[in-house]
Amino acid sequence: MTEEILAHKNLVVRHSMLELIEHWAIAISGLILILTGIFELPVAKRYYIITLPGLGWSADFITSLYLHYAAAFVFSAVGIFHLAYHGLRGEKGLLPQKGDAAASITVIKSFIGLGKEPPMHKYLPEQRLAYAGMAFIILMLILSGLVKTYKNIYAPDMSHTVLLWATWIHNIGFVLFFLAFLAHMAAIALRPNWPMVRGIFTGKVRLDYARHRHSLWLKEIEQEQNIPAAVSDETTPPAKMDPTEATQPTPQPGTQHAVEEKMEDIRSGAEDEGKPPQTEA
Amino acid sequence: MSKKINFNLTRRSFLKLSGGAAALAGLSLPKGADAATDRQLATLIDLSLCDGCKDLQAPACVTACKTINKDKIPEVVDNIPEPWPRKTIEDWSKKKGVFNRLTPYNFIYIHKAQIEGKTIFVPRRCMHCDNPACATICPFSANHKEKNGAVVIEQNQCFGGAKCKDVCPWEIPQRQSGVGIYLHVLPGFMGNGVMYKCDLCDERLKQGKMPGCIEACPRKAMLIGPRRDIEKMADERARAMNGFIYGKTENGGTSTFYVSPVSFEQINKTMQKKPGQPDMKPDVKRRMAATDPLGKSVLAAPALGVIAAGVLNWFAGRKDQVKKEEKGND
Ligand code: HEM
Ligand code: SF4
Ligand code: SF4
Ligand code: SF4
Repeated sequence: MTEEILAHKNLVVRHSMLELIEHWAIAISGLILILTGIFELPVAKRYYIITLPGLGWSADFITSLYLHYAAAFVFSAVGIFHLAYHGLRGEKGLLPQKGDAAASITVIKSFIGLGKEPPMHKYLPEQRLAYAGMAFIILMLILSGLVKTYKNIYAPDMSHTVLLWATWIHNIGFVLFFLAFLAHMAAIALRPNWPMVRGIFTGKVRLDYARHRHSLWLKEIEQEQNIPAAVSDETTPPAKMDPTEATQPTPQPGTQHAVEEKMEDIRSGAEDEGKPPQTEA
Repeated sequence: MSKKINFNLTRRSFLKLSGGAAALAGLSLPKGADAATDRQLATLIDLSLCDGCKDLQAPACVTACKTINKDKIPEVVDNIPEPWPRKTIEDWSKKKGVFNRLTPYNFIYIHKAQIEGKTIFVPRRCMHCDNPACATICPFSANHKEKNGAVVIEQNQCFGGAKCKDVCPWEIPQRQSGVGIYLHVLPGFMGNGVMYKCDLCDERLKQGKMPGCIEACPRKAMLIGPRRDIEKMADERARAMNGFIYGKTENGGTSTFYVSPVSFEQINKTMQKKPGQPDMKPDVKRRMAATDPLGKSVLAAPALGVIAAGVLNWFAGRKDQVKKEEKGND
């Protein structure tokens, strides 16, 4: 389990190194694929892209194909790795759940000040839906791209029907991928989502943010780590901790020692930070 | 399905054009064989035979091709949309008669070469390459290769972006603006007409007829037949005249074999590459071949992904196990 509460730093580990590598490999190779895919269309000369500094090669379809292949290698290998690895590990946090559509609407409404967000898991309901959509588009692009690649190397005379399907799935996939990318950027631009940006670069998000917005997720981690919820709760400064708080579960005998150590940690950590914990960006 | 018919037709054409059964001695046609190579056709252009039809107003092959394809291009719209931002419009609809170069209305022309006092006539058209970049990287797959080897542009699927022309070493396909589906999508921003070139008379082949140019040639300078046989015949003829072959290795191999008593180096020197007038550089490379190794690694990428997932999952499983044991020992 890589997810971990680092209470003294007011952080929680959201993504493992492996997940960060997967994300950025797909993102960077995907952007190269969009760019070189566009250059596979006869646009560079017509739209004077070749006159831009550094883009003189953009009308050379063979050079673009070379780059498209290079990026497609990373994209396909990592995309399939992602499905296989997390499938094998049984990690389902990003898969859509029942009721996600309705919950998404509630969350989106809350962005514009209508109502409150429901307590959420690690991923937001619309994030799970977006993930499924993106995964589908990526899979379509990979499958159709593989057919096109096979045709280029081994079967220039393959069935025209199959080829037309592959080509149009690829072209439509391209448009959808591009739109999905824009939607992804738009989601990041929304203020409530800002704290997650640091997560995709460093793997960690602020603990108080997570507690505030992803309370269900934190509960899961706490259960996993056997940390009583309130103990690691930094949103309530430790000094003023209310000992009579009803929700505080009694620590299990076996973990008493560990918990006390953690609490030590929390106190000194909070003092080190020297600033009041924030609740929202 | 049409495979059988093709064979029959091929045999018939072969007999006809090689001047009877005698000329065919030693050649055998494939019998029921299904391998792709057996279905492929090829053409032979014998430059020792072509005389450019110099006594005719226009070469017979050119006239035949023009006649067959005269109604191919639909009527061009009156106001051809001006493409943005580069304003290139290519309109040949008022110059349909031109036959000294390739145009959307002219798929074959005869180049005249003077070499050491001799005149050589070189019919030029699409070579129907073995792995034609013009077809494989058409973004709409409008240009595609048939099992019989014909490289065909479907005019109702083509946007006229001219990518095929750019990647063809001979820049064979020619554009007619103001026709095609781009008119119904985003004219002005996307597409610019339809690309046209020789399609080896694929329709006629499917009807059991010979390509028009081959049928019309009074000198029998051009032949069509099963690829294996035509290739053999080209070798034999070249050997007999102590001559040269063009089209066997060029652009990664083609299904058009030129046989000539003078070298193609010399012939090429008489050619200046101009729009619609290709040169004939010997051993011109198939540039896309350089991308094949990387393409093969792309095909292997998903398997690599699965293997990596299996390996990492195994390690992760081990780590979990160790953790559990440690917890148990606490
Ligand atoms: C983000 C992902 C991708 C995008 C946005 C994208 C986009 C495009 C676009 C717009 C084209 C030009 C239109 C066309 O030829 O159909 C293209 C061509 C091509 N794509 Fe992709 N593509 C992606 C992924 C892939 C992958 C993963 C592969 C291989 C597994 C691939 C293989 C190809 C090939 C071989 C061509 C060249 C044209 C051809 O051979 O037919 N693409 N791509
Ligand atoms: S000669 Fe040019 S247009 Fe004809 S098949 Fe070869 S690459 Fe394509
Ligand atoms: S094969 Fe048909 S289309 Fe091609 S040049 Fe000959 S007549 Fe014209
Ligand atoms: S190929 Fe035949 S028809 Fe064409 S110019 Fe030569 S002799 Fe005439």
